[in-house]
Amino acid sequence: MKPFIEFRGVEKKYMLGENAFYALKGVNLGIMEGEMVVILGPSGAGKSTLLNLLGGMDSPTSGQILINGHDISGFSDDELTAYRAWNVGVVFQFYNLIPTLTAHENVALMKDVRKNVKKGSIWEKELSDTQILDPKEALMSVGLSEHMNQFPSQMSGGEQQRTSIARALAKNPRLLLCDEPTGALDTGTGKEVLKLLQKQSKETGHTVVMVTHNSFFADIADRVIRVKNGTVEEVVENDSPKDASEVNW
Amino acid sequence: MLFRKMWRDLLSNKVQFMSIFLMSLLGIYVFVGLDSECNGMRTSEKAFYEECDLADLFIQGKLFVEDDVKTVKKIPGIVKAEKRYKTDGKAELDVERDLQMYFLDSNEISRLYMVEGTPYVPGMKGVWTDYLFAKARGLEIGDKLKMKVDGTEFEQEIMGTVYSPEHVYFLPDAAAVMPDYGSYGVAFMDASSYPKSDSMVYNQIIADLEGVDNTGGLSDEEKNICKNVGNTVKARLDSSELVSTDKDSDISYQTFRSEIEQHSSMVYIFPMVFLLIAMLGIITTMTRMTSRQRMQIGTLKALGFTKKTIIRHYCSYSLFLSILGGIIGAVAGYYTIGAYILSMLMETYLVPGMGLVFSARSFIAILVSALISVLVSYLACRKELAPAPAETLRPESPKDVSHTAIENSSLWMKLDFATQWNLRDIMRNKVRSLMGVFGVLGCSMLLFGAFGCLDTVKFMTRWMYGELNTASYQIIMEQGTPLAVTEEYAKKYRGQMVENAAVEFEAGGIKKSGSATIYDKGGYLHFQDKNLKEIQLNTAGISMSYKMADILGLKAGDTFRWHVVGDDRWHISRISGIYRNPTMQGITMTREVFRDLEYDFVPDTIYTNRNIKDEFEDDDNVVGAQSVSELMDAFDAMKEMMYAMVYMLIGAAAVLGIVVLYNLGVLSLVEKHREMATLKVLGFTTGKIRRILQDQNIWLTTLGLIGGIPAGMWLIAMLFASMPEAMDYIPKYEAASYLYTVVGTFALSVAVNRFLSRKVKTVDMVDALKGVE
Repeated sequence: MKPFIEFRGVEKKYMLGENAFYALKGVNLGIMEGEMVVILGPSGAGKSTLLNLLGGMDSPTSGQILINGHDISGFSDDELTAYRAWNVGVVFQFYNLIPTLTAHENVALMKDVRKNVKKGSIWEKELSDTQILDPKEALMSVGLSEHMNQFPSQMSGGEQQRTSIARALAKNPRLLLCDEPTGALDTGTGKEVLKLLQKQSKETGHTVVMVTHNSFFADIADRVIRVKNGTVEEVVENDSPKDASEVNW
Repeated sequence: MLFRKMWRDLLSNKVQFMSIFLMSLLGIYVFVGLDSECNGMRTSEKAFYEECDLADLFIQGKLFVEDDVKTVKKIPGIVKAEKRYKTDGKAELDVERDLQMYFLDSNEISRLYMVEGTPYVPGMKGVWTDYLFAKARGLEIGDKLKMKVDGTEFEQEIMGTVYSPEHVYFLPDAAAVMPDYGSYGVAFMDASSYPKSDSMVYNQIIADLEGVDNTGGLSDEEKNICKNVGNTVKARLDSSELVSTDKDSDISYQTFRSEIEQHSSMVYIFPMVFLLIAMLGIITTMTRMTSRQRMQIGTLKALGFTKKTIIRHYCSYSLFLSILGGIIGAVAGYYTIGAYILSMLMETYLVPGMGLVFSARSFIAILVSALISVLVSYLACRKELAPAPAETLRPESPKDVSHTAIENSSLWMKLDFATQWNLRDIMRNKVRSLMGVFGVLGCSMLLFGAFGCLDTVKFMTRWMYGELNTASYQIIMEQGTPLAVTEEYAKKYRGQMVENAAVEFEAGGIKKSGSATIYDKGGYLHFQDKNLKEIQLNTAGISMSYKMADILGLKAGDTFRWHVVGDDRWHISRISGIYRNPTMQGITMTREVFRDLEYDFVPDTIYTNRNIKDEFEDDDNVVGAQSVSELMDAFDAMKEMMYAMVYMLIGAAAVLGIVVLYNLGVLSLVEKHREMATLKVLGFTTGKIRRILQDQNIWLTTLGLIGGIPAGMWLIAMLFASMPEAMDYIPKYEAASYLYTVVGTFALSVAVNRFLSRKVKTVDMVDALKGVE
């Protein structure tokens, strides 16, 4: 079977003054559709860069990134925006909710996301039947039916992160990217969030990619990618992933 | 949802956004206020002159007969022509009232605009008076009006009240400064109503020319047409004594036109200042806002929102505010400034149906202001939109700061900490500091402009009635009073006799109407040179007023041609001296010089210092006596307008100063929050920190003031530049005005800063020094 996501010799170089710094060096990897993937590695290993490239939030210096067979590495700004609008849901470490919008409004924001996107993109053709979810349903699916009209500042960290997940799910994305989603949460709340993400992967069959430095999370993944110094150190397929509720850290 | 975000962002940053809103509002408020009345004047001028077909050419200087009119009508370029008798008469009412009289032959050109009653048709008996005169004197249609003309009393029934296109603005005599309609008037009758119909003469032909528009001022081409046709008329009628003037020389037409021009030029000045401040406000506010919302922008981008959507969102803040401000400003400006100025104009100009007209320009102004706001917002926020979302999602790396030249100099180390801190703050926040300077500049410009306007008008009155004319009364003689009789009065009251005559000048191809002042011996009239130093004019020559010489491009020693209106003898004279006069532009000479030119000296005014109030009630030779204070009162209408403008300027200055300084103060406090907390931790007292903030404020205020006073002088020059040609304004600035401006600006600036810097006290050291999440 062909991988849904494929990195071929991907490099990302930053210039710091006159010195070149390689965040990623010749990364090759493949991810199958519907997998729950955990990218592990210490700080500065390049995991966030990997996630950014995967989410079309940045472009590689060289190499190819194939999503369902389409190479997004040479995409223009507009094409990348269309890619994000149709394919990607993002969950951030610090939730990144709009502070002046309520939980419901933060999720409802997604209704507008495809409005000005470039028409006629390959994604539109492939995904035209994916509907934006009703914000209420999305919030209910993360267990936040009680907090819909609260502003982020009135919610706990866990509630904010769940709102952030609801916002990502509202797009019904085939690729859910999570950047240290439990990084700012206590263990109990973090576990709830993990459960939600795992459930999402299992129930919708969408691909979930989670970046973390917490090696305990490896147990719940179908595939674990270990990154170090900008290279992929190891890729491990996990035949019997644990349930998120069983993980302790 | 993004609209809700915008709305809540606006609310949570209301102080900063309020300034954008208020400045947009004020800009459009003043613009629409001035534009609607200006446009109203223009529209009513056009409608009135077109409906009545205002005459283009006035021919006088001899007595005309029907054959002359026929000859004139045949001249190419003349569409219509008619003759009439124009003279000054009296209405016998509560007292004798001045009544300009016209005995008409037809009513084709400069037609009467009926208000009520029966329209005039040639041959119809009766009198048609101007509407305001009838109203003020309680005259009704059907009333019999007793009049006197050329020494004969007669009576006519009032058939109607009218507006006349040639009497949009008119004064009773040469001595009057401002109109007081109703106390004198104008009357129109058929030639057959003239009391001594066998001795009826026509002294004027008016004509309508082809290719000359009824409205909008005369273009050079139209002026040429008038001149050429005028010359042909003279040739065809074979009379060199004829004087032909175009409507531009007509005081009614010219005064109303220059009023329109003056208002037009003012329409743009104030809105520009406010809009400039609004733009600066948008730059500072939007740059800060987008920089603070960098993460949110990154998030929106990461979620898949297009750049266009995000740009549109951030531009919508200022678009919303400028449109809302613009609409409120437009409505308020229309109903307050516009209505107020219109009410004053209606006292000065007799134009039927004069009202406010909301023009397309006002819509365009709102649109332009909104578009500029959007453009400025776009420029301010595009910096945050350019990088890839991955970069925008990271906190901004610290600014690349380098030492400025002054920081590297040896002087730097000698400065105390507060000065160094303030200098660095100013240099690293250039736009914010610049906006502060501009705000103060605008504020002090308006204040100085306001006080300067008052000084100038006060000076004009004092100059005219305190320096150039030191009499305390003037006696106005009846027209045609013999010299011997007038001399007796002069002797009795120890007065100085003066004759004022209308004169036409010509030099270097430029033709201008003006006045001649012919004076007898006496000590009441004084003259000053262009620098306002008292001078003695050459009693053997003819001197010219500074402004007239300037218009004609002449200087002392140059020659010019001139003639008295109604007399065809042209004289070539040399300017023996230049003097300055605020209201009368023309020439002046002694009665002896006038006599040598073979003119009879017929004084119309006697200046005296005797208290002669109420002495002439039953005197047939005297029209009346006016005291200097009464003459100065005539300036009141002008002063009232001036005061209205002054209050408006002071109000605008205060709003501008408060809004800009408050906005920047809040911004600066928010940005310096952590620095102030650090200073507190280091042991600086609240008082000391407040003083540091105040120091910076005083520096910026001083810079603004240095620019504001010359800008205020420019403003005054702009305001007076478009005054009528007959006025010679000298901008005056009293020491007190400088003082008021400096004190006013500093007081405002220091007060705003003190009010704001109270917040230093509440800076929580622990809170402010926590990490940013």
